Amino acid sequence: MRRLLLNMQRALATPSRNPRMATVLGRLLATAFIICFGTGLYSHFLQQPLPWMHFSTWPPNGYQLTQGIHITAGIACFPLLLAKLYTIYPQLFQAPPVRNILHFIERASITIFVAASIVEIVTGLINTYQWYPWPFPFKQVHFALSFVIIGSLAVHIAFKLPIITRYWRKKNSYDESGALVLDEEDQPPENASGRVGGLTGTVMRWIDTAPPREPAVSRRGFIVTIGTAAVAVVALTAGQSFRFLDSLNVFAPRRSGIGPDDLPINRTAKAAQVLESAISPDWRLTLRRGDVSKDLDYRQLKALQQREVQLPIACVEGWSQLATWRGVRLRDLMAEVGLQPGDTLKLTSLEVRGGYRMTTMGPEYVQDPTTLVALELNGAVLDIEHGYPARMIAPGRPGVLQTKWLRTIEVVS
Amino acid sequence: MKSGVMKSGARTGSRMRAVRIVLAAAGVVLIAVGAVVMQQTVAPNRIVGVAIWFALAIVVHDAIIAPLVFVVGTLMRRAGRRIPPAVLAIIQGGIVVASIFTIIVVPEIVAKSLGARNATVLPFDYGLRLAIMWGVVAVLTALAVGVYAFLASRQNQRSRKAQG
Repeated sequence: MRRLLLNMQRALATPSRNPRMATVLGRLLATAFIICFGTGLYSHFLQQPLPWMHFSTWPPNGYQLTQGIHITAGIACFPLLLAKLYTIYPQLFQAPPVRNILHFIERASITIFVAASIVEIVTGLINTYQWYPWPFPFKQVHFALSFVIIGSLAVHIAFKLPIITRYWRKKNSYDESGALVLDEEDQPPENASGRVGGLTGTVMRWIDTAPPREPAVSRRGFIVTIGTAAVAVVALTAGQSFRFLDSLNVFAPRRSGIGPDDLPINRTAKAAQVLESAISPDWRLTLRRGDVSKDLDYRQLKALQQREVQLPIACVEGWSQLATWRGVRLRDLMAEVGLQPGDTLKLTSLEVRGGYRMTTMGPEYVQDPTTLVALELNGAVLDIEHGYPARMIAPGRPGVLQTKWLRTIEVVS
Repeated sequence: MKSGVMKSGARTGSRMRAVRIVLAAAGVVLIAVGAVVMQQTVAPNRIVGVAIWFALAIVVHDAIIAPLVFVVGTLMRRAGRRIPPAVLAIIQGGIVVASIFTIIVVPEIVAKSLGARNATVLPFDYGLRLAIMWGVVAVLTALAVGVYAFLASRQNQRSRKAQG
């Protein structure tokens, strides 16, 4: 068994599988993970704020940026994680498999780290395709695993810190000829002694007689390959989040400009079951604060002072697009029922059911002059798919909170 | 000092030790937070589903993707005995880039075939685009090999002239 493991390690050894490469890739991957964690937490708390939380409404495209970065960094993790796993794969065949209790903890935590990371980025990516083939709720698991990943990243760094600091700099890693400089304890295992017979021996001889690699070529080729892959996957998908890459958008699940009024949608009027209620002549927008309430029909809303703002729709799935909205300023509208500066609002949609049928809006958004009850989009009457007769549009919030098909707006007491 | 070997240096300072302990402790706390969040927000039978996906992730990478990469690499080195290592590295690079795109785009093709929720989701023909991408990678790889061969032959000539 020991000989088999050592043989596996020897067979898998290549110039690009070395501690320096693992350190370089580890730094990049850790950076991407931390960016995803930070932007992910921000998105989470925007949707489920703790009572004391207040958010900045500036910049108005703040969420467009943070969530675009979240999804793009997540996509960049695919080449980076595969490359990182490639550099350390021979470690899977350590002999003996477990040396002591600390070594066991290290290997167990790595297993969790690797599994959680793969599941997190794979489900995250496929979630943006709106395909949910897993037997668990995405949002809750994605959130919980992010803590497990960052935690096991910290544990991993704690275990590997001596190696990380040792190979942090290039000049400590390679000598003048470009050969790797290893510490004594990092030396690769000696050849398992003795001639091995049987199938294992045949396989090992087959592997051993393959021509050797040239270390410098092999390492450079590896770095260039991974760099190219990372740049390419980002460049060809990030156009869904960042306008300047729009013309390169080849593989993203969304394309700006596609949809009713040239804007993509998520939930359709049909799915929300509002096809009839949204175009009913009986529709009224109800405003309420305590005992004061007021019903406005479409024509009355239209008769109020209309404002125009440029705000993006930015989806939690990463796509976003700037649009021109026209409608009534929310705080002016709510002044009709006596809005106070610190008031939080509860927004209800015509939707029959759905996780975001009822949402709350903190005073920072209510008081922002660009927050509108929008009646028009890109110069046309709001399409039913975009929330006709009236929808909310506020700066810096996820798309799911930009309530479509508004029914009531009330002050939370 | 033996060539290629360096005596181990500051692997055990007290500062290093302190940093490692703090990192490990913070890590354990965060993992525990994740576990508690999971336990409180996900039903037990669904957590079993997460565990199954964990196992699948490990098996797919460690027992399928990684060995496949190894076998393909070894096969290429054997088949390409006479090919310069740099050319082999360029070809391998092309295969890796195309494979990574395949991993990212194939689920998109499947998702689209199952039916997108509305016309603005997955609007492209991703299968066609992936096929074109393979072609583009193949052409760029061939170009890179050509440029390398050209530069290498020029360098050869120059060094021969210098000797002659």
